[in-house]
Amino acid sequence: MSNTDIALMAHLMRRAGFGATRTELEDYAERGYENVVEDLVEPERCDPIDEDILHRYFGSFEAGYVEKWMYRMIRSKRPLEEKMALFWHHVFATGVGKNQHLLASARQIDTFRRVGLSNMREILIELSKDPAMIFWLDNNENRKGEPNENYGRELLELFSMGVGNYTEDDIKNCARAFTGWTFAQPPPLYPQGFYDAKFVFLEEDHDDGEKTFLGHTGNLNGDDIIDIIVEQPACAKFISRHLYNFFVADEPQVPSWHVTPPQDPEAIEILSNAFMESKGDMRHILRTLFNSDFFKEARGKKVKSPTELVTGILKLIGTYERPDPGMGKYSGATTLMGQKLLDPPTVEGWHTGREWIDGGTLTERVNFAVREVSDASRPGIAELINRLKAEGRALAPDEFVEKCLDLAGPMTVSDTTRESLNKFAESGGDLDLSADNGSEESTDRVIQMLQLIVASREYQFA
Amino acid sequence: MGRPYGLLRAGFPFYKTLGMRRLTNFPIDIALGKEGCLYILCRNRDASTIRKYHIDDKDLGTVGRGLTWAVAIIADSEENLYVSDEAKHCILSFDKDGKELGKWGEYGDGDGQLNGPAGIAFDAEENIYVADSLNHRVQKFTKDGEFISKWGRFGDGEGEFNMPWGLTVDELGDVYVADWRNDRVQKFTGDGEFIFAFGKSGSGNGELNRPTGVAVDEHGDVYVSDSGNDRVQLFNSESRYVQKFLGDAALSTVAIEYMMTNAGPNRLRDMADLEPQKYFRRPGGVAVNGDGLMFVADNGSYRVQVYQKQAIPLTEEQFSAPRRSPTLHQE
Repeated sequence: MSNTDIALMAHLMRRAGFGATRTELEDYAERGYENVVEDLVEPERCDPIDEDILHRYFGSFEAGYVEKWMYRMIRSKRPLEEKMALFWHHVFATGVGKNQHLLASARQIDTFRRVGLSNMREILIELSKDPAMIFWLDNNENRKGEPNENYGRELLELFSMGVGNYTEDDIKNCARAFTGWTFAQPPPLYPQGFYDAKFVFLEEDHDDGEKTFLGHTGNLNGDDIIDIIVEQPACAKFISRHLYNFFVADEPQVPSWHVTPPQDPEAIEILSNAFMESKGDMRHILRTLFNSDFFKEARGKKVKSPTELVTGILKLIGTYERPDPGMGKYSGATTLMGQKLLDPPTVEGWHTGREWIDGGTLTERVNFAVREVSDASRPGIAELINRLKAEGRALAPDEFVEKCLDLAGPMTVSDTTRESLNKFAESGGDLDLSADNGSEESTDRVIQMLQLIVASREYQFA
Repeated sequence: MGRPYGLLRAGFPFYKTLGMRRLTNFPIDIALGKEGCLYILCRNRDASTIRKYHIDDKDLGTVGRGLTWAVAIIADSEENLYVSDEAKHCILSFDKDGKELGKWGEYGDGDGQLNGPAGIAFDAEENIYVADSLNHRVQKFTKDGEFISKWGRFGDGEGEFNMPWGLTVDELGDVYVADWRNDRVQKFTGDGEFIFAFGKSGSGNGELNRPTGVAVDEHGDVYVSDSGNDRVQLFNSESRYVQKFLGDAALSTVAIEYMMTNAGPNRLRDMADLEPQKYFRRPGGVAVNGDGLMFVADNGSYRVQVYQKQAIPLTEEQFSAPRRSPTLHQE
């Protein structure tokens, strides 16, 4: 297999998953790109993660949910399921900071995992019945005669169509259609812990009057509203742009989308068509996306989110083959980098792309990555060193750089970055991992090279 | 006192609830001490603690620290505590006030080495059996950690294990192992000779889903914490299914005291369906004492549920001969 295949596969796995070890990349490349895409979009082809193991080691229910989720991200054989859970978490941003009900927030992510690769109708129905979302946008207070429009408004503005594709009357009638969509009161946290909140439809709180929504008139319920939404070309375009922004290349922040056109209108058109022809089938749309030229040519066009950066490093160092204590520090790390999972800052979600980066978060990102790759005993690092050893000869400085960039990515870097890496490599001369008396020093040089690579500007991009 | 010829099982009612969130977080196992004391092992994310408790629902504080992923706790005749830690691959000991007494065990798969130690139990000589979970075997040690013997290997045949968890020793010296990933309990002599196994995967009566804890009482009844099915099952000494416990918890005394000063939770509780609150959620260890009390670490609900066995030993005259077939004839 060629390095081109490996590099393309690495790109696919960074976007559709959370990275891959070199051995995994070689296995994937052996299977062929389109077959791997099929495995990703049809996750039932691969074994699910062992839930019993998660329960046994990380505990049941809500305890340590984010650690468990991050473990899933790096260990699941169905990485796109986890990536889609993260995608919908970005789009349908719901903060545990408001509800303070960790279990409800955790269940929402479970729902995103379960239905994230289904179709847009099912996804929006599940979203509208999700207690964490209902509470987040006050639909539990949306009653006949005293409507609360928060959920109705955001459903249209941020979750399905975007500003400019509906009227204020549509919002009002959308909200009326969702009156009575609430949840049963769960028992309080104290003294026995969280209990599930469960969706209920309260007939007596539902407005049964006639409503007009996007040109459709009748006694519309929430289900009818969603049926109408998913037929709108605006919905197809809006979700396609979200998918493009998350999987392909950074777009401006969502609130500006109604005034700033997409950077690649043709790509959005292709995805929108896939949406419309499949009635919003995520598998079909993502299959189209991952097999497209615009995706394959989008290497390095996205700033890694904190979660992608951290999980990518964990994949690189090849750790956590089994659950171990300490995963909590990784959720702490993403928080310091600006992404506290389960707790996005607002209903708009996290601002992505270059907004992930400021002086403070960049320091956190670089320090984290440098620290994590510094241990030669980590399985992924040990394997990388073994592969260099397997060359069976001393590597000239430029080869040393090239091999490390290849094994850490493969990565393409700017001339400036390469110059810095070459300078470091040349300062120690040839790298000879085969020499018994020089191996420790040489191992240190490899570690330092990796540290320089993960600290580079290019490593911040997916 | 030997085991009775038969038992009149008069009932096994719920007795009381102990603990609450904040005091007994994620209890995973229980050791019974003297004079009503019990030691509740609580496992929180990356740190575990031992909560000393009294059966009158009095919290006596935290004893024992420095635990990471603790799994099981037992008390010896002097009420010193032994705790397995599957992250540290060792057994730690404390006195009843929490002073650390020692630590033994190291990571590995050689004799005496451990990989993810889980259930532990004393025999009559206070040797310790350890479910060496990720080595898929049982090892026997002196109380000070000197290796004595071992048996088992990975598999699902007789005497083989797949990540064993709970373990106990009855008064006859036989060893029962909750063979977690094989969804069964295996019984051995103290030397590791296979006697029988019971349970298979499922949720029907007598079937198991990831059993975590096992205990045996003075009648030879076997209690299995059937964690994945959120229940405890009772089997007789011949491994016949007797009954199941789904949980019947009321509020503990400390929980009532808490609620009396918290208006908000009282209102929410009043609005909620209370039925789910009585059930077990992912029970951990189970322990029984000589008074017929069964203690269940109700892991997901931050409490211990206690049941009271009501059983009267029967003589041969009071208990007719065993029958092979059922009958409709009323004698």
